[in-house]
Amino acid sequence: MSHQMGRVVSAILERHFGEIVQKVGDDLFSYGGRPIGMLVRHTGLPRNQVVDSLRTLLKFDLATFEPYNEVVVDYKLLPENVLLMIRYPRYLLQMKSKYGSEAEMLVEELLQQATCTATTLLFNIATKFKDDKEKSITILGLKDMFISLVTAGYIQQAPVAELKEGSEIPTLIPVATIVPDLDSRALLQAMNNGHINDIKDNIYWRVNYDRFHLDFRDEIMIKAITRRIDENAGELMRFLLEKMYLTSAPWAPESSPLCAVELRERCRSAATDKPLLHQFVDQYLKVLEENGGGFVRRVGDAGSGQFAVRSRHAALQLVLCALEHCVTERLGSKAARIFRSSNLERLIVTGKVEGKTLRGRPIRWSNHISKELEKPMNVAMHEATEHDELIYTKKYIEEDDIQKNAMLVNKECKQLTYKLMEEHFISVQPMRKPASAGGLAKAIYLYHVKLHNVAYTGLEMCYRSLHNVLRRAAHERSAHARLVDKQRRVRTIVHGMRLRGEPQRNIDDVEETLTPPELAVLQGVEKRLKQLSTAELELDRNLFIFKWYFMYPYVE
Amino acid sequence: MAGRGRGRGGSNLSLTHDQLQALGIARGENTPQNVAPPPLFPKLEVKPLPLPSDAATDYMLIVKEQFIEYLHESPAYVRKEAESDGIERYSDKYKMLALNAKKDKVLDCVWANMPPELRPQAKKVRKAAAAAPKPKLSNAEAIAKRLQTLEKKEIQEGDEAMETNDNEETVKNQEVNDDEEVEDEHEEEFEIDDGTDYANNYFDNGEDYDEEDDNLDDGPVY
Repeated sequence: MSHQMGRVVSAILERHFGEIVQKVGDDLFSYGGRPIGMLVRHTGLPRNQVVDSLRTLLKFDLATFEPYNEVVVDYKLLPENVLLMIRYPRYLLQMKSKYGSEAEMLVEELLQQATCTATTLLFNIATKFKDDKEKSITILGLKDMFISLVTAGYIQQAPVAELKEGSEIPTLIPVATIVPDLDSRALLQAMNNGHINDIKDNIYWRVNYDRFHLDFRDEIMIKAITRRIDENAGELMRFLLEKMYLTSAPWAPESSPLCAVELRERCRSAATDKPLLHQFVDQYLKVLEENGGGFVRRVGDAGSGQFAVRSRHAALQLVLCALEHCVTERLGSKAARIFRSSNLERLIVTGKVEGKTLRGRPIRWSNHISKELEKPMNVAMHEATEHDELIYTKKYIEEDDIQKNAMLVNKECKQLTYKLMEEHFISVQPMRKPASAGGLAKAIYLYHVKLHNVAYTGLEMCYRSLHNVLRRAAHERSAHARLVDKQRRVRTIVHGMRLRGEPQRNIDDVEETLTPPELAVLQGVEKRLKQLSTAELELDRNLFIFKWYFMYPYVE
Repeated sequence: MAGRGRGRGGSNLSLTHDQLQALGIARGENTPQNVAPPPLFPKLEVKPLPLPSDAATDYMLIVKEQFIEYLHESPAYVRKEAESDGIERYSDKYKMLALNAKKDKVLDCVWANMPPELRPQAKKVRKAAAAAPKPKLSNAEAIAKRLQTLEKKEIQEGDEAMETNDNEETVKNQEVNDDEEVEDEHEEEFEIDDGTDYANNYFDNGEDYDEEDDNLDDGPVY
């Protein structure tokens, strides 16, 4: 709930629902809960427009309401849900690639309707594609797909309104999803009749975003492992995640232990696809554990090894990567080096204990850690890998040490450090020494990365650029609105002429109303808008990782 | 107190030599302060990474455009009241037609899940409630009284007969039509014209029309 977020939310509302909804949304965002009378007064809009906007917001689940007393209702904006609106294309892509175009149509229609009964949904899509012979979509096929999507959890039952005694204001109560039993004969009959008045259906459905987010998370984890190790390891990660869903809560910070025996069995069944994975399961498990960025942890040796999937840790790793990437792109690789060296936490979390040295890292670093912790090196490292929490409290570094670790010239190093500080990537903790007699009070400045805070910085950066992108696109659109409109009109006219089979000469005449310079401008606008749209989608990917990280409460 | 006089100048305001050196600034290296504000759009030092362009992204872009277009066409997109700049145009009629066609559609919601004040029938209920007290004002007694006074007036001032007729018409209109402004104008005319206060008794003072006030749901004033 920050200022930057408010700006993004406002821009998204404007893009999707127009200025009036944006105004109402802004007001709701900045004041929290509000009754309708206050909204009318503060926005200066006519009451019916405020009512319309609130309907829109409530329909798309972008706002909620709760009774203030018997008659007055307070409305609240759900900014997180507004942000999800830019993720809709990704949901559809997921559906299309995983379940095919029928599923995509179902989800698309459901996203458009926000909430809808199964019958209406199926009927609408079937009528829309009734004449489309190529796709051959039948209402029965759609029905089967709908049921499988409900079973898989992508579609869930919408909350049901309940009236409390003595009040007219309904309260929405979430209900458990029950896989519906739809009557095929009734559906077919409705298709023949052309209306669905005969079917009584009052169970409403909506899209379950959370299920999609789980899919995204799994994909990210698998992709990360695939890129870090190889495809077989990625496949192994997929099996681990599959097993995880059976035993633990899907978003659990760390899953309950998974048995290696089961994994081996799973690999055997997939032996035809991935013979290497089957052959070297144990080795792959070892590599995954040692070099998999801490996504997987060995928790016990019983039953030839027990492993846990660490979703929280994966989020932390990915956020760190994103931030490092951010620093690299903004301030250059040297700054990234400083960022890394002030971030001891990372070193310890990802570093591996091998005997008494840190593999693949300069020995100086490990010495520094043991000094910092005032413990012998091996004990410190052992404890560190046992519980990362220990390190969270001890991760400060002195300026001189930064310089040494980053291997940079004094002046340049300091400049970059201050630059990093200015952009809130690292923070400083002054330690005042008691003033010695006569001299100045000396202070030591310890630098450190407060990951939680830095992640917030990253999140804010995402919001800011998202807002910039949206604003720029809106500007681009409004600046060339007339031309775009003209192009659209020419297209419809030409389309109509083609259908009527008019001579090519006439069509050319119409097309030539768009002059070459106009066409050039239009092409430029199109290209820029496409770029901005792509940027929006990409930013949303980053946003997803940050949100995933913030899902788990902060451990001091 | 003890801090005063130590260091050079106010120790809080500027940095001492030692402190400057600790910050990595050597003697004579203190660059003059830049007075001009930073540029609004600073030049990028590094060219940003290219955005991905593959089939999946293209698909997402198309889907996104379609979705937004759908929303813009649907009643979920709340439109402004049609504004006119005072210039009549030939195309106005068609524009209005197109606008009205979109406007009349009501968003398809699950009304049971909405608070009562947002449901479409809520408006009708409110209107009915507002309309209810009106007949009270124009009951038989009031009309009789008014007609009497009008008669008197007609006798007194034959010249103004036309005007009172007009007024009478508005009386009739008032039962069906609730155009506040027109009536207000007439009310004022009465007061100016003959200085009697009968009109004030008769006319609705506007309390019942005020949309704002007859809502009980204005909520507390913070």
